[in-house]
Amino acid sequence: MRLITAILKPFKLEDVKEALQAAGVTGMTVSEASGFGRQRGHTEVYRGAEYTVDLVPKVRLEVLVDDKDADSIVDVIVKAASTGSIGDGKVWTTPVEQVIRVRTGERGSEAI
Amino acid sequence: MSTRERRERSNESDRFLSQLFLNAVEKHCDGDSGKEIALAAVGGYGRGELSPGSDLDILILHNGKVIEEKLAAIVNDLLYPLWDKNKVDHSVRTRSQTREAASADLRVATGLLDIRAIAGNADLVSLVQSDALDFWRKEAKRNLPELANALSERHNRAGELAYLLEPDLKEARGGLRDIQALRAIALSGAVEVRLEKISWAESTLNNVREALHTASGRGKDRLLFQEQDKVAEILEYKDADAMMSDVARAARSVDYLLDYTWHGLEHKGKDGLGRILQRPRFVTVAKNVSAANREIVIDPSTSLNEDPVVGLRAAATAAQLGLPLSLDTCNQLSNALDSGEGVLPNPWPREARELLISLIGAGDAMVGIFETLDQEEVIFHWIPEWRSVRSLPQRNALHRHTVDRHMVETAVHAGQLTRKVQRPDLLLFAALFHDIGKGTQEDHSERGVRLIAPIARRIGFDEKDIETLKILVRHHLLLSSTATRRDLDDPATIQSVVSVIPDATTLELLHALSIADGEATGSAGWSDWKATLVAELVNRVKKAMAGVEFAQQPMFNQEQIALAAKGELRINLQEHDSGYAVQVISPDRPGLLSIVAGVFNISRLDVKSARTKTLGSSAVMYWIVTPEPHAPEVTESRLHQLISDALKDSRDVEEKLLTRAKAYASIPSIPVPDPEVEIFTDAATDATVIEVRSHDRPGLLFRIGAAITESQIDIRSAIVTTLGAEAIDTLYVTELTGGPLTIERAAEVASHLKRALK
Repeated sequence: MRLITAILKPFKLEDVKEALQAAGVTGMTVSEASGFGRQRGHTEVYRGAEYTVDLVPKVRLEVLVDDKDADSIVDVIVKAASTGSIGDGKVWTTPVEQVIRVRTGERGSEAI
Repeated sequence: MSTRERRERSNESDRFLSQLFLNAVEKHCDGDSGKEIALAAVGGYGRGELSPGSDLDILILHNGKVIEEKLAAIVNDLLYPLWDKNKVDHSVRTRSQTREAASADLRVATGLLDIRAIAGNADLVSLVQSDALDFWRKEAKRNLPELANALSERHNRAGELAYLLEPDLKEARGGLRDIQALRAIALSGAVEVRLEKISWAESTLNNVREALHTASGRGKDRLLFQEQDKVAEILEYKDADAMMSDVARAARSVDYLLDYTWHGLEHKGKDGLGRILQRPRFVTVAKNVSAANREIVIDPSTSLNEDPVVGLRAAATAAQLGLPLSLDTCNQLSNALDSGEGVLPNPWPREARELLISLIGAGDAMVGIFETLDQEEVIFHWIPEWRSVRSLPQRNALHRHTVDRHMVETAVHAGQLTRKVQRPDLLLFAALFHDIGKGTQEDHSERGVRLIAPIARRIGFDEKDIETLKILVRHHLLLSSTATRRDLDDPATIQSVVSVIPDATTLELLHALSIADGEATGSAGWSDWKATLVAELVNRVKKAMAGVEFAQQPMFNQEQIALAAKGELRINLQEHDSGYAVQVISPDRPGLLSIVAGVFNISRLDVKSARTKTLGSSAVMYWIVTPEPHAPEVTESRLHQLISDALKDSRDVEEKLLTRAKAYASIPSIPVPDPEVEIFTDAATDATVIEVRSHDRPGLLFRIGAAITESQIDIRSAIVTTLGAEAIDTLYVTELTGGPLTIERAAEVASHLKRALK
């Protein structure tokens, strides 16, 4: 099993959610996140007062999938999240040792 | 579900218990010894009210002459059959043991106030009852503060009944335990408690609790989501929302009476407990409004028909001073309004509108006053539309408050943002009414637009302001939803906002409203994350719009210009609304604005607005002022004298102002946001524009003028506006040698001004 983590532009969340549902993904975890990558923060001048936006608001999305599905799901996310401009985000996967569904105690792929 | 049923349940228990008790006594005692013992009910059972899951609180009293084995046998016989049936909370004590227990434990002491004999020696119970009452009255000074502590600890733990989605009917603030506390306070005799005000609340909460026990089959008092529908059905409510709305209303009235009672206890009389009532000292704080016993009252001789604004004045003054509004005053006001007395004209006079804005803008202090106006049904006479959202629950995971309370909370948060906008009055008003459209299936923003227009018109806003208010209500969710759901890099996103928000001034208002609304909703609806996104959107939209507008320099007519050319001091005084319009034409000199403002201040005239402009070597000034209470009579010649003296030597005015400032410092005040100073260097070609936004306070304009003079710059024009309790002053300034300030110099002046206003 793999955990797919995606950092997205907030407004792309709906598109990605829909695309994932269409691809048969039934569950996901979404949280508010902020950070910066190559996009960096930028300096704004507002009415003479300068302020720095050093952390850019993003959405963090996590999905657990079977090893065999990981690549195709990553593709679905990347495709849905892309706008082609700076700050579109990143997607990465990590191996997962064990997954347990709390209610039933099911383990492994059954619990996804 | 009714008081009668609860009483029957209690009677039933009485019969059952007294049978058990009598049997036990008969079995274990011979002959007369039954007289040495009694069975009594305490707490809720003592009051004769039992819900299905209530505990039976009983006290077995004896005179100490019964031998221990016998006593134990009687108690066992009594309790054993009850074991599976009810939860029993029992104690076995003599009269003196009971006295000791009461003095050691507040809960025992309050429980004993409701003691009632069930069986056995009733005299023994009467003695204990009078002991309990005696102790409670004599030791009130010690007991009541302890009770207050216990209450606030419990409130912190259990939260507010009126605003929680799954509240505890007994423990939460405004719940049944608070009603018991109120009874106990009433019995202490320390202060009058108007228990009749909460009789509806008590029966409502008891009915809901009884239905909850029935529905859940358990004795728990927490009204969980899963039980709410069933409980509502048992009580024949339309739905759970209707029931929760009643629960909230009940809790609010209890909470309100409790708050009011504590306040009365703290401030009435010499020993803090009101047994020695002193004649309160009345201090006039506004026209027909006084402070007495640290609460605000309307002077008894006031005719509401002659001064219909007095109610709003009392409320706004109370809020701005951070003092509560007297319950008597509210009662009288409410009764008068009910009988058609003191009805405000439509549209409201300007003063009434200003006062409403001062009230809304008072921050935290406004919550209590608004609650008073709600509980005493005064607010509905002013704003009938408020009734439709009163205690209206929102079963929505984001919200923590009922609709009305949410809007009040939004206004409190908006009060922190008044410096961020040019029209604090519109921000505060929109904040208080942004969700007024809730309560039907229709989109609440759309419905809100229809409702806000007539309210705003009645309150006296002009058509242009009403349009802005409609935009604010219609689009109060626009910024948050656009910022989180659409691509900010896409010009179409920015354009979609630009197309509905006409100008940067409205955008600033909408931004502040979004923040206030979000913050009031709670952490589930608003976070730094969301705030950053919204700010980013606003920033981008602002760039796509023309700059923020500010007040333009005033224009004067030919006659005024001709007078100015003469270069003499001339005063013209006319009655205007509830004050005066004063035209001052004077030879110009540095510091003129602050001198004239200073003269008004020491003459106890409050500056509401001013428009001034330098024409050649003279200045033309047009002031609107209102007299404070006890202001000496104003005449043209007196003003002429004062201003002409001050122009020669202003030290006298400055000294008097200092004395007045000291006197003001002793008046209670509420926390307000710091003043803000904004500079627009490219706004007017020949002058720099400085905009000062501050809480209005006596002598404000004098201070601003003085700080400007200290900075060695000249005021060409000034436009002074008071909106509720907020002041917006726009100054067109130049170097003494003429011409606008450099950016560095402007920044220097701005920081000097900020320091001077702190």
